[in-house]
Amino acid sequence: MRAAALWLVALVVFGVIASGCIGGEETKTSSAEVQLTGDFTKDAVEIGKILEQNGVKEVKFSAWGSGDPNSVMRVYGIVEAARRINKIWADNGINVKIVITDTHYVASFQDAYKEYLSKQPLGQAGDFFVNSYAFLPTLADEGYILDITDYAKAYQSVIDDFYPSLIEASKYNGKLYGLPQDTEARPLYIRKDVAAKIGFDLNGLDEKVKNGEFTWSDIYYWAKKAKDEGAAEWGLIHRKGSAHPDLIQFIFAFGGRLYDPNTGKLVVDVPAVYKWLYVEWKFARDGLLPEDIMSWDWAKQIHPTVVEGRTLFDIGGTWYWTEWQTKQYYAKGGTPRGLKPEEVKEWFYYTLFPAGEKGEKPVTLSQPFVWMINSKAGQLNPKYDELKDVYHKLAFLMLIKASDPDINAIHSVISAHLPVRKAAAELIKDEKWLNDLKSLNLDLSDEVKNNIRDIVQATVNPINAQFLADVSYMLEYTHLAPAHPKYPALADIFKEAVDKVLRGEMKPDEAVNYIIQKVNADPELKDAVEIQGEIPKDWKFPQG
Amino acid sequence: MRDVEARPKRYEWLILLALLLASLPLLVGFSLLMLSSFSTEMVTNLDPGSFHFTLENWINLFQGKIATTGGIRVNIWRITLNTLIVALGVAGVVTLTSTMAGYSLSRIDFKGRKTMMVLLLVLHAFPGVALIVGVYLLYRLTFPESTGFVGLYSFLYVILARAALEIPMSIWLMKGFFDTVPWEFEWSGIIDGASRITVWRKIMLPLIKPGILSVALFAFLAGWQDIIYVRTFLIYQTLATFIEANIEAEYSHMPLIAAAGTFYLLPTIIFFLTAQKLLLQGYSGGIKG
Repeated sequence: MRAAALWLVALVVFGVIASGCIGGEETKTSSAEVQLTGDFTKDAVEIGKILEQNGVKEVKFSAWGSGDPNSVMRVYGIVEAARRINKIWADNGINVKIVITDTHYVASFQDAYKEYLSKQPLGQAGDFFVNSYAFLPTLADEGYILDITDYAKAYQSVIDDFYPSLIEASKYNGKLYGLPQDTEARPLYIRKDVAAKIGFDLNGLDEKVKNGEFTWSDIYYWAKKAKDEGAAEWGLIHRKGSAHPDLIQFIFAFGGRLYDPNTGKLVVDVPAVYKWLYVEWKFARDGLLPEDIMSWDWAKQIHPTVVEGRTLFDIGGTWYWTEWQTKQYYAKGGTPRGLKPEEVKEWFYYTLFPAGEKGEKPVTLSQPFVWMINSKAGQLNPKYDELKDVYHKLAFLMLIKASDPDINAIHSVISAHLPVRKAAAELIKDEKWLNDLKSLNLDLSDEVKNNIRDIVQATVNPINAQFLADVSYMLEYTHLAPAHPKYPALADIFKEAVDKVLRGEMKPDEAVNYIIQKVNADPELKDAVEIQGEIPKDWKFPQG
Repeated sequence: MRDVEARPKRYEWLILLALLLASLPLLVGFSLLMLSSFSTEMVTNLDPGSFHFTLENWINLFQGKIATTGGIRVNIWRITLNTLIVALGVAGVVTLTSTMAGYSLSRIDFKGRKTMMVLLLVLHAFPGVALIVGVYLLYRLTFPESTGFVGLYSFLYVILARAALEIPMSIWLMKGFFDTVPWEFEWSGIIDGASRITVWRKIMLPLIKPGILSVALFAFLAGWQDIIYVRTFLIYQTLATFIEANIEAEYSHMPLIAAAGTFYLLPTIIFFLTAQKLLLQGYSGGIKG
């Protein structure tokens, strides 16, 4: 028995020591280094020459991406960047080639992140990884992604062309860990046909929303009118789920906040959260918003209700604009079909998410995607230890190339996300360029052309480009959900509370207390969250 | 309780009806999945109006397109091959190990035999998820330095790890089958001068064929269906991880996922249909002893 106990102790000790050894990085210095100058061609040629001198003929990289199916340029941008660098090398007589060996793409960006987390320590994760900025701090903390601050200094002119808020989202502890790939806004969509039936004049509404004159009380008024007069089945439709920030916009619209940069903690802003839940509760009690919407089906209930005009308002994302064209949500008249661009334009008005009440500001919320480089990028290549610096800098150059304005603009137009560079925003306004994209008469590899052909056919037209240009101003009003490891857990609790008030199981004040109790019940979450403020007394909704 | 043979036939339809009713939710579920795979939208609420026939989902699936427009093309045949390698690997390892171990436990009296049998049962009680941290630790410790073997290693590891979960139960099953074979068969072989291995191979194994088939089949299905181990250890995708990765409701074209799900079900259905008779023999053989 004693011997068995000793064996067991020895085994546990071995396990602990072994697990400590895992992940221990060897500190080898690379023998070949390269200095980036900011002249792209010169830098690429320099790197190519060093590789060639070291006998490297082929550089293998893999690219991992995730998101909606139209966002394939998140991966093909890297494929195209490789081709462009290969061309520079070929033009300069350098016999080296970059080959993208694996283009891994999954729909769920949370799943992709988890997969990266588990495969990176084994050296099996993609060399390039595009995902939400929200995961960047954790990946940077773990040492799983490359710090590109110094590399970027040489390319300051390119960095300066990105929208500053998006560059900030790509930083952690003041260091740059990636380059923005795309972002979006979350407009409030209004059905023009339903509005017309109830005498809701949409002319100049945009300005009223911007000035904070048109608030959620007005939305309530018109939603109720639409319902009472039988113009629509519902007043408002919004999405379900928690991690997505659509509903979180309410907190900002009511002047609240979610994060305290001074303490680094998440915030439950009680007054703002109470007002948000009150609005949801009131809409559902008056039959303007389905009380079970948090369990509605996306394809069979949420989107069809919107595209068939069975609601006046809808809270959505910019990508809905093309999603409604490419997916068969509209089933009036029998066979389901996608909307024509002309129909989307004719039926939908769009504006910022209005202020919660007078005195507050309209908002939108973005979740930028960021291109990150694996801290072990290039490890599958020959002489990785000696040429580590060269491979890493080459990977950085590929990100710079993948951020070329035309690649970014193509991604924006075909996926209805907003461009991250000013030069790309200019390009999507260019009618000639748009026509060239439509006919794929652009300098792109055949692989990329073949893989985006059907998306281009379905999405590229002046109406969609105009839409993107029209909503770009929303980035000036944007907020970011906190990039905090505990945010998803808090967002889940918010979701539960919303569901409970919608179903009438709790009143708004009870739901706020429920949130506080749930936060306090989880010690880790409790440490990460500050509860601020109190439930406002005598607050009325709708206001006069 | 009467014997099967003596039960009056006239109530047969009643039993059939009860069985049908009991299995109705399952049948409806699978039927809706299959119907949806041939429809432009998911058939989920028994509304015939939502069924619009199309072959597009299957065409897209075989072309590796995960969305109606867009998406990165995947090689579905490669993914199916990966699934098959894991499933066949698990079936092979489990069958070989459990037929040998089952024979030893049934026929050979060695020191610690009883303890081993108890430990096997205890092992079976541990769910795979609970073991995954330890198994992952071992994976990290034994991970090859050379990148050239990583793919092969991850296949081998996932097969061994998954098989290890199946082996305890399979050994017990096989022991039950060996127990049903009378000692006389074995003795006659040994008297004729055959070694224990020869007896096992030439006399015992042919006698318990249905048992081997059922163990192999269940092990194959365990490998085919596994998601947690495959997701953690295998660097390639299998059908299970492919479906899981694309099921995110908002983005995915669900009828296409329904086609993938139906495709994923096919081997199971085919195996059960073709091996039904042998399996039933195996079942009765297992409990007779």
